Amino acid sequence: MASPAIDSRSAALTSDIGRILDRVKTMPLAAWFGILAAGVVLLQLLFAGSESFPARWAAAFADPFDRFARWALENRRSGEPHPVFTYLFDPLADAVGWGLASVESTLLWFPWFVLPIAAFAYVARTRRWADATVAAAALIYPGLVGLWDVTVETLALMAIAVFISVIIGIPLGVAAAFRPRFDTTIRPVMDAMQTVPAPVYFVPMLMFFGIGAVPATLATVIYALPPLVRLTTVGIRQVPTASVDASDMFGASPMQTLRKVQLPMAMPTILTGVTQTIMMALGIVVLATLLGAGGLGQEVMDTLAQRRMGRGVATGLAIVSIALVLDRLGRAAAVTDRSVLPSRRTVWWGVAAVAALTVAGRAAGVNTFPEVWDTKVFDPIDDGVDWIQENFRWLTRSINDGLVSWMYVPVKDLLIDTVAWPALVFAGSWISWRVAGWRLALFTAAAVSFIGLIGMWELSLDTLTQVIAAVVVSLLVAIPLGVWAGRSRRVEAALSPVLDALQTIPSLVYIIPAVTLFTVGVVPGIIASVLYAMVPGVRITALGIKQVPTESIEASQTFGATPTQTLLGVRLPLAATTIMAAVNQVIMMVLAMVIISGLVGGGGLGFETISAVKNSEVGHGFAVGLAIVIMAIILDRSTQAIARRLQPPTA
Amino acid sequence: MESTPEAKLVADGVWKVFGARSTRATDVVLSLADSGATRSHILEQTGATIGARDVSFSVAPGETFVIMGLSGSGKSTLLRCVACLTPVTRGSVALDGEELTSMSADELRRVRREKLSMVFQHFGLFPHRRVIDNVAYGLEVQGWDRAKRHAKADEILELVGLTGWGNHYPQQLSGGMQQRVGLARALAVEPDVLFFDEPFSALDPLIRRDMQEELLRLQHTMQRTIVFVTHDFDEAIKLGDRIAIMKDGEFDQVGTAAELLADPATDYVREFTRNVSRAKVVTVDRVMVALPDRTTAATSAPGTGANGGTTVPAGAVLEDVLGLLVSNRGDVSVVDDDGRAIGVVDRSRVETVLKG
Ligand SMILES: Nc1ncnc2c1ncn2[C@@H]1O[C@H](COP(=O)(O)OP(=O)(O)OP(=O)(O)O)[C@@H](O)[C@H]1O
Ligand SMILES: [Mg+2]
Repeated sequence: MASPAIDSRSAALTSDIGRILDRVKTMPLAAWFGILAAGVVLLQLLFAGSESFPARWAAAFADPFDRFARWALENRRSGEPHPVFTYLFDPLADAVGWGLASVESTLLWFPWFVLPIAAFAYVARTRRWADATVAAAALIYPGLVGLWDVTVETLALMAIAVFISVIIGIPLGVAAAFRPRFDTTIRPVMDAMQTVPAPVYFVPMLMFFGIGAVPATLATVIYALPPLVRLTTVGIRQVPTASVDASDMFGASPMQTLRKVQLPMAMPTILTGVTQTIMMALGIVVLATLLGAGGLGQEVMDTLAQRRMGRGVATGLAIVSIALVLDRLGRAAAVTDRSVLPSRRTVWWGVAAVAALTVAGRAAGVNTFPEVWDTKVFDPIDDGVDWIQENFRWLTRSINDGLVSWMYVPVKDLLIDTVAWPALVFAGSWISWRVAGWRLALFTAAAVSFIGLIGMWELSLDTLTQVIAAVVVSLLVAIPLGVWAGRSRRVEAALSPVLDALQTIPSLVYIIPAVTLFTVGVVPGIIASVLYAMVPGVRITALGIKQVPTESIEASQTFGATPTQTLLGVRLPLAATTIMAAVNQVIMMVLAMVIISGLVGGGGLGFETISAVKNSEVGHGFAVGLAIVIMAIILDRSTQAIARRLQPPTA
Repeated sequence: MESTPEAKLVADGVWKVFGARSTRATDVVLSLADSGATRSHILEQTGATIGARDVSFSVAPGETFVIMGLSGSGKSTLLRCVACLTPVTRGSVALDGEELTSMSADELRRVRREKLSMVFQHFGLFPHRRVIDNVAYGLEVQGWDRAKRHAKADEILELVGLTGWGNHYPQQLSGGMQQRVGLARALAVEPDVLFFDEPFSALDPLIRRDMQEELLRLQHTMQRTIVFVTHDFDEAIKLGDRIAIMKDGEFDQVGTAAELLADPATDYVREFTRNVSRAKVVTVDRVMVALPDRTTAATSAPGTGANGGTTVPAGAVLEDVLGLLVSNRGDVSVVDDDGRAIGVVDRSRVETVLKG
């Protein structure tokens, strides 16, 4: 029995090293700050004049990707393409393209009134009349304002993307449920996929498929896949052992058990996953316009360019309509309580009625939406916006100037032009060490240097500055609001529907009002980020405050503490972990939005990604994407680590 | 344990170790256990739990074998090992002379389809299937067509008193009815051997008693071989032909109810027997004062003796004579199968035994 002893000795050694390395985490704060300051000053003196990181590898990094992209392009054009294209990429692209075209033409083929009626009937089947009405109305709206064709284009992209996600995601989730090894392999990949802002996915798609609706669809699939895989795994694992054992005991084969017991019993959870996938897909499908997808995304880009708020609102509502339709249909599909559902006969009658309506409509030649309104109905909004711009220019101007000259410029100057890069790398790693331990510190040091080496130093610091500015503003708004909502049921009731509505709106839509009021530059991006990230900030903070046990609060009150003392002494400390989770969420959402706001001249990594995608600069795009991924990982891991450290020791 | 030739199901030296990460770790656990280490000692040393420890038993055709023990004693583990729902760490299980534990997955599946069934503590019903499709599940797996399996399922539903409930979903039924569905599902495939894992412990006492009666009634006509797990000694006594008392993964004692009561092998067994209503188990011949001579003439009907006194058969349990003793204010004679008086019981003797 020598080996267990060796095992335990080496384990002890590893844990000793770990303990020594982690001493930084438990060092007194003053000492820690002292070393931080001393280190920064020392490095600043030593490396005076080297503010920007030497971009040694910039070309070497980008070149191979560019060469591959060029090779791919030429290969596809040449008469005899590489087998990878003839047998893999091209058939894949063809199939997806065919799917997109057929869904689109099918949806347009139906007489306009059939789809809302069918959707109403499908949801009403579960006796949720309000949901059914919402679904029907959401299908009528885009037609009424003359956006039906573009909406269908986006809907088709969504449908195909979700369909592909389902046929890939469910088997992956099932495999992960049965093979723990496989699960532990894909889990970190999925985690990373979810922390990365969407436009980063466009670059590799660009490399393999060029521009068009097909790469847009596939990028959407990759982005929207993780929640479905994860929830499928969870759903399968949640099936009670007794049910699986029962099936085994009857001599069912693993496949029979899966098909007859596990999948049906996991179905509600899997459908939740599908709904989430739909929401994620909707968030990115509009952005996918950058890859040349057309549809509502293109419409949003146009209104951004023309700065027409009215039309922007009309389009935004059409996007929200898609979200509502798919969400309500998804919820209806998830209802499995048979006591609510109608009999099979009723269902057949319903299907027959819809078919009859379709035939009648086609026969009567009623096909496209009657020209009822146009987006012109929203023009008064433009007038309103004009009026606001006229009369509140002083306000928007001062917000703009304040943000730029008091936050953005000073921080950016400090990070980019004042501090030498070795001092910044040291500070970043030292802070990561304190909050998350030496592993993240090492990662930070290496990854941040890598960002510098591939020539992304200044762009990344620019983005970091925007993130800092937006996060500070978001938290200044969200935390007080959240605390207020957490303490007063009335405030919460008033906020809740607003927050619900805001959460269904895809990120890009937030840019429309920001741009109309603040024109272009970094400020609209920051404002849009604040609007977008505030929602979870408020939500989670309120949750944290509400979760504080009543006994703790009453204990504080019996000592005669004032409400403020109770808030500062009891509520906030006990809610600290949850509030930190809110901060984490806010930071990640801000990062995603800051990247998107590259569309409106936000500069930094966002603008670079978008221009790389637009101009097909694959190598540059990869460098930018990698820098974003690294930033996302460091910000995510360190804030999560802080949240964990704030957890009261008992819990 | 030697297996009698007519044994239906034989478990031979079954071990189950949980939480050993590698085969080497398992060997360490087993060698520790072989050298006599206790379960808690092994847990402390290796982090592994012994679920079943060298358990052997055999069940005769048509017999109801009850495994009884406190929570955590390893009953479910043993049952799952015997049913091959979990692989045994060491030892073997054989059914009709075929060794289940060394079968391929396909062979095991065949045996299960032909011979085995199980009823679960929390029913293990399929909530997404109607009652009838729950009951017909085993037949469906075997490939019966829809009409045939539904006909069969209807028949079984009638047998368990659920006629007309076939089109409901399990959640729409009460707990007792749900377990009837579980029972029907197990019976529908006409198994040779039925496993029960605390099937009635989630039910309230009255319903539980109904279900026990129901099972006895069914068993009376069907004569299946049953392995029944419970933590309720009264239930064990009521249903079991033989009872195994399990503790820390081992059998402390195996025997009929009367054997266990009369001669508990360990304190653990005595602890159970203490709370049992002996009135239901102990027969009068075990407490009577035997008559020196056995010459008293028999009379026709039991109930009145030759001398006009009250008599009871020797196999009657104490519960049956209690009433008589109270109303009689005297002794009651005990008669054998031929009606000859073989002893007398008096009230004070019975009361002493009942108090344990
Ligand atoms: N899959 C498992 N992994 C690890 N340990 C287990 C596992 N299953 C059971 N055990 C352990 O084995 C022991 C016996 O558990 P088992 O479920 O067989 O007890 P039981 O007698 O059926 O109890 P109950 O009456 O509560 O059902 C317990 O200590 C339990 O913790
Ligand atoms: Mg159990």
